[in-house]
Amino acid sequence: MRGGTTGIEWLVLVGLVAAGVGAVWGLATLAGLPIQYNVRNVLVRWRSSLTTILGIGAVVAVFVVLQAVARGIEASSGNTGDDRNVLVVRRGSQAESGSLVTREHFKTLSYMEEIARNEAGQPLISAEVIMIVSVPRVDGTGEANTLLRGLTARGMELRPQVSLVEGRWFEPGKREIVVAQRLAKRFQGFELGGTVKAGLTRLKVVGHFDAGGSAFDSEAWMDSDECRAIFERDQYSSILLRPRDTNAMTVLTNRIDTDKRLALRAEGEVQYYKGQTVTAAPIKIIAGLLGVAMSIGAVFAAMNTMYASVASRTREVGTLRVIGYSRKSVVVCFLIEGACLAALGGIFGCALARLTDGFSTGTLDFQSFAETVFQFQVTPMLMAKGLLFAVVIGVVGSLLPALRAARIPVISALKSV
Amino acid sequence: MTVFGFILKNALRNTRRALLTISSVAVSSALLVSLMTLERELTVPPEAEGASLRIIARNKVSLMQPLPAKQLSAIQRIPGIVTVTPFTYFGGLYENEEFTSFAQFAVDPVPFQSIIVDGPVIDGSYEAWVKNRTGCLVGADTMKRYNLKVGDQMRFRGTFYPCDLDLKIEAVYQGTVDDRNIFFHHKLLDELTGDPGTVGTWYLRAESVEVADRVIQQVNDTFANTSAEVRAESERAFQMGFVSMWGNVSNLIRGVNLVVVFTLVLVAVSTMSMAVRERFRELAVLKALGFQRRDLFGFILAEGFGLSVIGGAVGIGGAWAFWTFSDIQQMTNGFLIVFEVTPRIVGMAAAVASVLGVVSSIGPAISVGRMSVVEGLKTLD
Repeated sequence: MRGGTTGIEWLVLVGLVAAGVGAVWGLATLAGLPIQYNVRNVLVRWRSSLTTILGIGAVVAVFVVLQAVARGIEASSGNTGDDRNVLVVRRGSQAESGSLVTREHFKTLSYMEEIARNEAGQPLISAEVIMIVSVPRVDGTGEANTLLRGLTARGMELRPQVSLVEGRWFEPGKREIVVAQRLAKRFQGFELGGTVKAGLTRLKVVGHFDAGGSAFDSEAWMDSDECRAIFERDQYSSILLRPRDTNAMTVLTNRIDTDKRLALRAEGEVQYYKGQTVTAAPIKIIAGLLGVAMSIGAVFAAMNTMYASVASRTREVGTLRVIGYSRKSVVVCFLIEGACLAALGGIFGCALARLTDGFSTGTLDFQSFAETVFQFQVTPMLMAKGLLFAVVIGVVGSLLPALRAARIPVISALKSV
Repeated sequence: MTVFGFILKNALRNTRRALLTISSVAVSSALLVSLMTLERELTVPPEAEGASLRIIARNKVSLMQPLPAKQLSAIQRIPGIVTVTPFTYFGGLYENEEFTSFAQFAVDPVPFQSIIVDGPVIDGSYEAWVKNRTGCLVGADTMKRYNLKVGDQMRFRGTFYPCDLDLKIEAVYQGTVDDRNIFFHHKLLDELTGDPGTVGTWYLRAESVEVADRVIQQVNDTFANTSAEVRAESERAFQMGFVSMWGNVSNLIRGVNLVVVFTLVLVAVSTMSMAVRERFRELAVLKALGFQRRDLFGFILAEGFGLSVIGGAVGIGGAWAFWTFSDIQQMTNGFLIVFEVTPRIVGMAAAVASVLGVVSSIGPAISVGRMSVVEGLKTLD
């Protein structure tokens, strides 16, 4: 799934860059200026050009990396679930972890005829328990909450995106758990054969699974009823089920939602996880604010460079005007130079940010109060955004210097040394 | 013309550039101060007077796992404890809000009075709250934010608990580190859930700092190897545990800080090298007149240092004034509470600005020092 979209995104990125270069070329031709003139100018003043490029590059890198973090967090929950599944939680609860579903609920729902069956004829419905267990971190920085999900064999059938990579699945009744590979790297005792203390019992890790970058990559799994027994819980947290078809899905969702006796809420599994992205929102806001604040600094830096560039070329500008170039051409000329300079910075910044792509780390999820694992996602789209951001900085920064260059009187320009 | 006048004239010769440099340094140092304050806000919880005496005991499995109410009598028997109350996070949504930034806790009002010592009641009466089982004790900040007065009703929709609350404001407290929270009777919660047997956590107060550690140890030992093992820790340690979950966020902020400093250096260095390049000829004349290398270095250093320090002062002062005189709680919808720009943060940002001034002058000063007078006089630009 991800491969396909990124392929298209890469094409878009290449297209955007090509369009940008084309636009610059076209403008230069319109203004009647050879583009080499600008490019050489950037290279001749390489020291001040380099500082500007590095400065803009750093700003773009921060902007892109922060967006990549927000995207990574969104992706880990946006990437989760199956279109055909329906998740049922208690009405009024915001997340699975704060939901309670009774055994009677489970029984009532199990007999609903809209539920699909597997080859063995069993209804595809799984009553699950979400527990939050505090586990020490590998790096010795104290404990953090992790999600422990109790589920049944049906629950595993309902989540085909999760596959075993090491060891074996847990066996009910044996106090065994299987941990997401990405989570296992962050906590003590989650290695194969390791044990985790939960209350008075010790749970043995018998396998590692991979959930393909979804929210399940932040979970550990064990048998549902055993989990209830160990933690002395009467109730389940949620129910995952699969209706026979889309029609049955609408009927079933409606029925569960409107039944006053149940007081449950049914939602498509995919929609549910899409809604669990509260954590990413503040990061996005911070990324935006930082982008604005840092770009002000970068615009000043670019302005400085371009003013110096204009000032030291007063005579050249005068010459251009004498040969017959219009004021407009001179403005375009300096704008192009500023944009090129900034674009180089943008490319540098994106390259820098791209290095963090796929970096896996964790953060506190505000909804479940447990640690969620996510990966930085520096997508081509984000890099395109970063490049655009850089060019805007460059153009804004060189606008005033360019206008100043255009206003220089020809005679005095030629006289200046 | 005095030396100082000479430097000042030089610095302001290109007024636009001086202003641009000062403002970009100002914006960046304001950003630096804000980021450091944000990191502090997220990682260093405000210290309360009684925090070392107060102890929170939670289930060892995790904070979300409840504890049996029957543990109360066992805790009360431990010597050195002044008082103990159940302390249960309700996690409700206020009225029609989608996100509520203040917490509601169920407590036993009588012992709770000797826990919330740093927050005296400023309106209504504590006794009235003790008597009214459907009443609540509300923080002054929340009263102000929602424009409430004593006697008003507050309604909450439960998200963790399958029940809603409808509470009457009986008393208002002020003076704790977080004057947003509201407290209500644990008995009411027991009734609504129909389960008097569980509590969220225990909140204890030790007699003195000396016995606090022993009390913590004893609470932990009392419930070792029972079905609900307990993890007791001081209020401070408990808060730090919450903070450690933020670990990576603070690394992220630190990374951004580094980049901000890096761009600051670039801006300052490019300004100074431009300023010096423009005046290469003049500096050569000065050299020819007999000024020593260190005099020239002094001129350049004073200019670069002056520009960055002025920029730093504007930025740091601006950020301090902005965060001190604006209502951060209102702006962030209650997400950030104190956002205090401490002297330490101001000092660090000021140090960065001063170092910046020195660093930006070194490169240009070296090239000026190296140049021969003849070469300098020949320069056209």
